[in-house]
Parts: sequence; C-alpha cells; structure tokens
Amino acid sequence: MKNSFDEKILDEAKDWIKANQKVVLATVIQTWGSSPRQVGSRMIVNEKGDFSGSVSGGCVESAVVSECLSLIKDNKPCKKIEFKVSNESAWEVGLACGGEIAVYIEQIH
Amino acid sequence: MKIKTLEEILKKKSSKTEFAILTNLENGDSEIYLPGTSPKGEFSKYAVEIENFFKSKKNGVIENSEIFVETYIKPIKVIIVGAVHIAQYLVDFAKSLNFEISIIDPRGYFASEQRFPDIKVINKWPKEAFEEIETNSSTALIALTHDPKIDDPALQYALKNKFYYIGALGSKKTHENRCQRLAEAGFTNDEINSIHGPIGIKLGGKSAPEIALSIIAQLVSETYKK
Repeated sequence: MKNSFDEKILDEAKDWIKANQKVVLATVIQTWGSSPRQVGSRMIVNEKGDFSGSVSGGCVESAVVSECLSLIKDNKPCKKIEFKVSNESAWEVGLACGGEIAVYIEQIH
Repeated sequence: MKIKTLEEILKKKSSKTEFAILTNLENGDSEIYLPGTSPKGEFSKYAVEIENFFKSKKNGVIENSEIFVETYIKPIKVIIVGAVHIAQYLVDFAKSLNFEISIIDPRGYFASEQRFPDIKVINKWPKEAFEEIETNSSTALIALTHDPKIDDPALQYALKNKFYYIGALGSKKTHENRCQRLAEAGFTNDEINSIHGPIGIKLGGKSAPEIALSIIAQLVSETYKK
C-alpha cells in the first residue's frame, strides 16, 4: 500500500506567487539506478535563487537553481534537464549516488 | 504551469479529491485529470496509459511520449481513540507524513478543539463515532486510552471491518487481558494476533513524543507491507 506523500511545495509556490515572486517549479520526472528522490519530488526556485524542497539529496540542487534562473532570465516556459553519471556537469555538481535523474523545470505564470 | 492550474490543484488537494496532473513536457501545457473521465485535447490519445498510472498509484512519463503523469491519491485515514498526550504528538508526525487523522474520545475534557486545532475530533463513544467516519480496509486504528470501555468497541469495529493496521497501547499484561476479552467476544486467534500490542516498534523511550514516534514508525512500516 502507498500513502499520498505531500511535501506542501505547491502550497508554498502559491505563497511565493502571492508575494509577487517569479516561481519556477522543478519536478523529478524520471530516475534510473539509485537516485535519492522518487519521481514526483519537487522543488521551487524564485528569481533571487531562493529555493525550497528537493529533487535529489543535495547533489544537483545548485545546478537546478541556476537552470531555473536562466529560464526566468530568458523568459522560457519549460526545460527538461538530465543528470547522468556520464554527463560532465553531473560530475561537477557531484551526483555521487551513481544514479541518473531527469528534472523538468517550468515557470508558473 | 498556469497559476489557475496551480490554484485548482491546491483546491483539489484540500478537498481530498483524487486527480492527476498531466504535463506535456515539450510545450509545458498542463491539465488536471479526474479518474474515470476522458483526458482533454492533446492528452486524449493517452487515456488508457493515464488510467493505468492511476490504478498503480504511480507517477512517470508515458512510454514513447513526452507526457508526464503525476497522480494524487487520497491520504490514508488513521483513527486515534483517546485524545491523550501521545495523540498530540501523533498529529504532528501525521502532518508531515500526510496521514488523515480523526480522533475519537467520549471524554469531553480530553477531546477539546483547543488541544487539537484543525483535527476532526469526535466527542462520542466509538460505536456512534464510527457512524460519522467512512472506513475500509485501507484504514488504520490506534487505540490509546487502555480503558476497555473505550478501546474495546473500537478494536472490535476495526477487526470486523478489516482495518490494515490495528494497534493498542498498554503493557503486556493489559494486552493479555484485552486478548482474553476479544476471545470471549468471539474473535479468532488470527484476528486477535493481528493487533499490534503493546503498540509500536521497540525504541526504548518512554516519553509521549518517543512513544508517538515508535507508533508512527510501525504504522509506516506496516503500510508498505500491505
């Protein structure tokens, strides 16, 4: 049996929007191998780079924040980012678990 | 995602409606889907796959597509009998774990709203209280009063309705007496043995938050076993 886990990130997104912040929602959409967070895990990022929630165990959050900031800067609606072990940028930010994840980022507008 | 969609999601979540968020990963379009209905527009050709995600309570990308499905199911219902100190800590843990708590206690001085803000507290005897709560085999019962007058009718109800988790607070001796009473009431050994008593995993702690932690840990573990 499975319970419906809800980390209240979407509730927080609404609060940020109410406070006139630009919000990008990041969601884990696929995982391969051993990855710390399950599909559906979420994180939000605002235009200042503040973030809440998580998409990994701290491995790729900083990279996701900078991708979200670029999305706001370039005014793009969405982007899919893959973090793989073979991917050099993943090594840089340290996906130490050896897993692979795909994160989808989208502006809430 | 549109702000309007986000607001609709939050509304559905707070009314405990089951739904899914469908997202087209290529263009960013998203829709709310209700089980049993036909998905709208560009999502319509994936009706079967979406419904399957729902049945398996899973999230993921539909194979050979760019459609992401995230399902929201109803939280598991946990009924606590006894609005006691341990229950206050259970409520705290249940909030972050997203269990939906109802508390039954016929004793008015325990079951006050001030002690349990935002929680459904039913100030009635278990028999009448259960008439107000919809239960099924995905419901859990935590009996905390260790008073047979209050706990026993609730335990009997939970056994008859095949709750997936039933736990009862009390010492080994208290639990032996409880088992004896249930046997006399006609319950089988298997049914009686399915009750977790003394409740909780062995942590060693004796304070109210420690006991609450041991109970909630057992509840989570049993949830994944079923």
